[in-house]
This record gives sequence, structure tokens and C-alpha cells, in this order.
Amino acid sequence: MPASAPLHARGESSNPVIRVAGLTKHYRVFDKREGIGGSLRGLFRRQARTVEALRGVSLEVDPGEFVAVLGPNGAGKTTFLKLLSGIITPTSGTASVLGHVPWQRHDDFRRRFALVMGQRNQLWWDLPAAESFRLHEVIYRVDPARFARTRDELVELLGVAKLIHQPVRELSLGERMKLELVAALLHEPEVLFLDEPTIGLDVVAQHAIHSFLRQVQQERGTTVLLTTHYMKDVAALCRRVVVITHGRILYDGTLAEIVDRFTTHKIVTLDFETPPSDAAVAAWGFPCERRGPQVRLRIDRDRIAGALSEILAGESVIDVTVEDVPLEDVIAGLFRSAGDDGEPTAALQEAVR
Amino acid sequence: MMRYLRIFATFFQASLVRDMTFRLNFLLEATTSLGWMAMNLAFYLLVFSYTPEIGRDSGWTKEPFFVFVGTGLVINAIVQAFFMPSVEEFAEMVRTGGLDTALVKPVDAQFLLSLHRFKFSALANGLVGVVLIGWAVGRLETPPPPVAWLLYPLLVGCGVAILYAFITALAAATILMGRNQSLYDFWFYITNFSRYPAEIYAGPWGGPLRMICTFVIPILLVVNVPAHTLALPLSGGDRRLILVTLAAAAAAVGLSRLAFQAAIAKYRSASS
Amino acid sequence: MTAVARSGGWPFHGWTTMLSICVADRLAHRGDFALGTLMRFLPIVTQIFLWTAVFSAAGSTSIAGYSRNDFVAYYLLTMVARSFSSMPGLASGIARSVRDGSVKKYLVQPVDYVGFLLAARVAHKLVYFAVAAAPFALVFFLCRSFFPWPPEPPVVAAYLASLVMSFLLGFLLEATLGMLGFWFLEVSSLIFVYMLAQFLLSGHMFPIDMLDGIAVGSAGWSLSLGDIVRLLPFQYTAYFPCAIWLGKLRGADLAVGLAMEAAWVVAAAVACRFAFLRGTRRYSGYGG
Repeated sequence: MPASAPLHARGESSNPVIRVAGLTKHYRVFDKREGIGGSLRGLFRRQARTVEALRGVSLEVDPGEFVAVLGPNGAGKTTFLKLLSGIITPTSGTASVLGHVPWQRHDDFRRRFALVMGQRNQLWWDLPAAESFRLHEVIYRVDPARFARTRDELVELLGVAKLIHQPVRELSLGERMKLELVAALLHEPEVLFLDEPTIGLDVVAQHAIHSFLRQVQQERGTTVLLTTHYMKDVAALCRRVVVITHGRILYDGTLAEIVDRFTTHKIVTLDFETPPSDAAVAAWGFPCERRGPQVRLRIDRDRIAGALSEILAGESVIDVTVEDVPLEDVIAGLFRSAGDDGEPTAALQEAVR
Repeated sequence: MMRYLRIFATFFQASLVRDMTFRLNFLLEATTSLGWMAMNLAFYLLVFSYTPEIGRDSGWTKEPFFVFVGTGLVINAIVQAFFMPSVEEFAEMVRTGGLDTALVKPVDAQFLLSLHRFKFSALANGLVGVVLIGWAVGRLETPPPPVAWLLYPLLVGCGVAILYAFITALAAATILMGRNQSLYDFWFYITNFSRYPAEIYAGPWGGPLRMICTFVIPILLVVNVPAHTLALPLSGGDRRLILVTLAAAAAAVGLSRLAFQAAIAKYRSASS
Repeated sequence: MTAVARSGGWPFHGWTTMLSICVADRLAHRGDFALGTLMRFLPIVTQIFLWTAVFSAAGSTSIAGYSRNDFVAYYLLTMVARSFSSMPGLASGIARSVRDGSVKKYLVQPVDYVGFLLAARVAHKLVYFAVAAAPFALVFFLCRSFFPWPPEPPVVAAYLASLVMSFLLGFLLEATLGMLGFWFLEVSSLIFVYMLAQFLLSGHMFPIDMLDGIAVGSAGWSLSLGDIVRLLPFQYTAYFPCAIWLGKLRGADLAVGLAMEAAWVVAAAVACRFAFLRGTRRYSGYGG
């Protein structure tokens, strides 16, 4: 079963805002050679290879959804967003956003969405943000009264009123990012693409942006597609997660289900009155940690009930805790188990089924 | 449309504010270009002390020649002030993803990329050029007829348009080939050919060169035709050349735009 | 406490590394250097046509003692001379390193700062000539009909000597200029004036002989503008070697000219050293 097929059962909604089918993007890359000999040879013949940035991605997004696209670096997330915003054209496959083919770059389409890329600057460097906003108003043909209202709302929400008259290059990364977000929403787009918006930001800024996005999205019903490799972004903002590795969709569903789907065990922490022997512990499950009378183990899910009753019957236990494997570890494991050639390992394919 | 004019006005104002903020830099740049230009003028005067005409029977004696020089200064000033600054940072923009930003906006990308930054200090040379033309025209043997004065601004505009087309082609090449210094050297060498009247390209090698640089890569039309129209009497061939210039300007702008569109269609964007 | 750099002998050991890095860097930009070196000669084409046109109406086959062919040969030769004497970025680089403090590391190391810069430039020029020799040779071969050929051995020897001295003079003049960065924060205006003067007065734009017809001063003096310009050191960075090759200077004139050039090199070296010593003393006085 192809790993790219969505696992999460789609709702009956009839009109997805974003529709992607078999989207593929290959690049031809020329290798630079080392040293003098290599450079000389490079004058006459260049070594080329094909990088498969995206391999047949398909999904659908309904209006008002907040979807996280999660994946390690180089997975193809940014390529995916660039295709959906029309910056590049695909090698094969189709996509439709708000009824338009993105790479045809119709003005009607471009007026209805916004793209924000982390660590990349969209505001004009030398102008104060307020000027960039004014430019935005003209470019997007926003009604002036509406524009003023939207701008004031957004600026207030993010608390950047004092910053908008300073030249952008004098501001910190976090401040710039907030202004970028304001600029992006000035024309009230129906779709918002965010590419790693919190990368490089401190915790406070991240938090501010999270609550901002949440509020805006709820109030305006914007469809948001957010790529990130931070779990925090995902956990704070979305229910639906699409995991992309090596250019393919590995998983498409809710966050909660990931843990269920991809882990076979839980973590059990036991506080004993008298520390048990190593042999005994090994018999119950896979030990992770021992700190005197406290033991942490991994126990297979189907065996938990049995193991627990055994332990509680046989030993004197002061405290028991049963937890899921932390989400970060699951995701990291997902990224790893995709394998180097991009094909899911057999074990993963099993789990995905 | 009105929208494009308003966008242009915003950029204009922003660049003006910026140039006025860095006033010292502005003055330095203006002085630098004036200095180089003054030296070139001194050189031309020196040459004219040894010969009455550049190219026998070409008509380019001292005063017409200085009309030519002044025209060149004006045209180059316009291009350097309004188009070059945007394109100079183009390679860097492409590298840092600025092109991505432009492609996402509901505005023509070529407009945004070639007209967002201006350098007003480059206009200093243009002002000198105007003065030079005024001085030289006053001393011409046969003053230009009224129709020449009407045609002159139009032909200067054509010259600017042809150079703009070259710049756009350069930009398209930058998108496809990435940062390449020799592209900008290319600009210098191409415009270097048009520093002197086209009539100097004569003889077995010069003739064909002149043909190519007039009809294929119309670099020799840029300064020659407006200057000739103003400073020298027009023959039938010269009149035809005016029509050729008008056509060449339109064709050049059109073709370069096509090249630019093709380049952004193939755009790969920095990998991420 | 002064941290004056002391000369510790030639830094030979750095040369081979610098050389290989320079070469690799040049070759890495393959598209650039293949096209670039040849393209540098394109303006000569315009020059040939220009001077042909000038001569066609001049009513004489000789201007300031140069025929049309001589003019073309002259400009080609200035390109060679300039490739020896031009020091792109030297003055501004020194000024910048003074401004941002990176010059400090040279002051505390047992390495002679000026010597180090000189070695770097030599390496740079060697690499440049290694890769540019072919295009240069090609162009000169194609243009051989413009040259008075062949020159006598003493002329060749004098020419080569003048080129080497022109390299040293160009280096020392610009290095001294850069040293002014120890005193002035913004040296760029001074550098600009220097570049302007050099462009106009070195013979880069036109042979200085063209100025011989312009008299300066009252009747009793009989000095020409050309004479005055020749008193300045700029002529050695472009005009002088070319004039030697083209046979404009012979016998005693040639010997005197070479001696003057050598004297200028020594004077510039002294000025450079002096500026450096005084400059670093003043600089460290601030406790950088």
C-alpha cells in the first residue's frame, strides 16, 4: 500500500480548498568538483544528478483547516509550499488552490493567499514596516478603510505598534517575524502558507506567534498550511498533521493517532519499597532507567495489564505511572525509520497498515 | 494602471528618503561620477586639438560631437538612476529568495524587480549632459529645425528603452544562471561600443560590425540616432534609421519581456 | 606600549598555500575567467576604430609623434603595464582593516605587515599571469601588425625592468595611501582623488606626449604640460613602460628615466614604512 495514501478518513465536505494529486518535483543538480583538477574538468563536462525533492504527494485540505506539515530538513516541505504558492512549477502531478492552478500565477489567485517564510524577508528592507504595509495596501488593492482597521487590529494583537515606524533592518528576528505576519494578513487572505515561521525565535516570541495564529485562524476561518520541524508548533496549533519524509507523505491524520499508530508500547514508571533484582525487571519489560527504588520500563501495550498485575501482586509498590511515549520520540522515530532510500521500512509499513 | 503608478510613486518616495538620509554618500557618488565625466571631457578636448573631426566627412566635428556626448550622458543617467540600481541587487535578491517574494504578489514581477530602487545621485551627470547639449547646440553651424526638437525626446526615450531591454535580458539570464559576474561585465562591454559615434566603425571590419550593432544588437542606435537628429542634417537614410530605431525599441522591449517571462517560468528557487 | 611589527624575513612559507588557494578560487569561477580575460580586450577594438577615425580627418599621419598603429600598440601595452601596477582593493583594504581593527593581529605577530601584503600581491599577480598569459598572447599575436617589431635587447631589458618597478611603485603608492587610514577615518575620498589623478595623468587614457604641445607658464619658461606631468610618479604606472617599448625614450633619456623610476620606488618605500611606523604608534596609543 503506498505510503502516500492518506490514512485519515476524509470528511464528506465537498469542496476542498486545496487539492493535490501526485505532485512531483525533480531537480537536476550539477556537482562542484574539488581541487584544481576537478575545477579544470568542470570546465568541460559537469556531473549531473537528479534530486527528487517531492515524489507523488497527494492530499486535500478543507476550508478553515489548520494543517501542520511535519518533516525533517530536506524532506520536501518547503518545496511543497513553493509549488502550492506558484513559485515553482512541478515535474508532474496537479494541484489546485482556491480553484486556481498555482503556477499559472493569476493575479486573482495571488490576491487571495499569503506566504510567510521563516528567516526570509518579505518586507522591503529599507522601509519602515508602516511603509511596507502601505505598499501592500496598494499592491493588493485593499479598501483603505478596511485596511486601516485590519492593520490596527493585527498590530494590536501582536503588540508591535511601537515598531512599525522603525526601519525593518534595525529590528530583531522575532520582531521582524511578527511584522511579516501582520503584513501577510493585511489583505485578509483565505489561505495562509507558513514555512517554518518560528525557526530561530526565542520561546517568548514563539508563544506570542502561536496564540496570534490560533486567534486569527479561529476568528477569520483562514485555511492554514504550516510547515515546521518543531513539535511545539504542531502541538500548539493543529489537530491534523501530515508527516513528509524524503519527498513522500508518511502519515496524514491527527496528532493523537500518531502515538497510537506508531508505538507498540507504553512507558511504565514504578516506585518500589525494596528495589527488585535486575533479572526480575528484565522479565517484565525493557528497562530504560533505574534510580535506586525507581524503575522505568517499556512494556508492550498488549502485555501491560498482565505485567502490572504480576508486579503488583509480587512486589510492594508505592507508586505506578503509565504514560505514552513522548511525541517527539515518536516523530523522531518516524523520521528515522523512513530509511535512506525514502522507502518505508517493513516495520513501518506494518504499523501504517 | 493607476495601481502601478501608485506603487512606483511609493518606491520613488522611499528611495528619495533613503538617498537624503545618507546625504554624504549621495554627494560622494555624485562627485565621483562628475569627476570621471570631467576627465573624459578633457580627453575629448585634447583629441579635438589634433583633429577637426572624428571620422572624415562624418559630420562629427567638435560641437556635434559634444551633442553626442551630452546625449549619452543624459541617456545613461536615466538608466543608471532608475533601472540599474534595482538590477544590480538582482543577483543577490535571487540568491536570498527575494524573487520568491515577488512572484507571490499580484503584481507583474518584471515591474517589481526592475523598478523598486532608484539612485538619484546618478542624475548629476545627466544635468551636466543637458548643459553640454545646450552649449553645443548654440554653437552648431546649422541649428536644428523644430521637428528635430520634437523627435529628440522621443528618440532619447527609445535609447533608454533599448538599454532597458538589455537590462531585462541580463536579469533573465541571472535568474537562469545564478550569480555570474561576467554578465555585468557584459553590460560594460556592450555599452562601451556606443561611447563614440557609430560612424567610426568603417572599413572591411568596421562596416559589418556597425551593421550588426545597429540591426541585430541595436546598441549603436541608442545615442547615435537622437544625437544625429539634433546636431546634424538628416539624409534619407537617416530618416529611415529613425523609423528603425522606433521599431527596434519596441521589438527589444517586447523580446526581452518574453525572455524574462520564460526565465521565471523555469525558475527553480533556492533549495531549502 | 607600542606593538610595532618587526620584519622577520620573507614569509615564504605562506606563499604556496596562498598560490594554490588563488588558483583554485579563479578556476572555481570557470565561466567568469574563461570569458572575462578575453573580454577585457574588447574596448581595444573600439579604440582602434576611434583612432582610425581621428586620423582620417587629422590631416597628418602622426599625432604627438604617434602613428595610428602606434596608438593601438600603445593602448595594448598600457593593458600590460596596468596588469603589473594596478592594485585593486589594496588601499581600501588596508583602510578597512584599520577601521575594523583586524590590523591588530598583524601588529602583534612576528610578521611584517607590509611585507605580508606585498607577498600576497606577488602571489596574486603570478596566478593572474599564469591564467591570463594565454588570452594576452592571443590578442598580441592577432595585433602584431600594429607593433614596431622586433625591439632590440637593451630595450627589452629596460622594458622588463620598468615593469617590475612599476609593480613596486603601484604597490607602495597605494599601500601608503591605505596607511592614511591610521589618521583619517574616511579614506575613500582620498582614494577616489588618487584614482582620478592616476587615470588622467598616468597615460592610461592617452599618451602623455599628447600634452607636449600645451605650453605652461610665460615665454621664458618653455615648459609643456607634458613635462610637468612627467615629473609625477603616475606616469610610471602606465605610460613609461609603453614609451620604452615604442622607442620614445633612447640612450641617456632612457637611463635617466629608469633612474627616476627607481628613485620614486625608494621614496615611496620610505614613505610607506614611515607612515606605517608612525601610524601604528598612533594607533596603539589609543589602546585598540
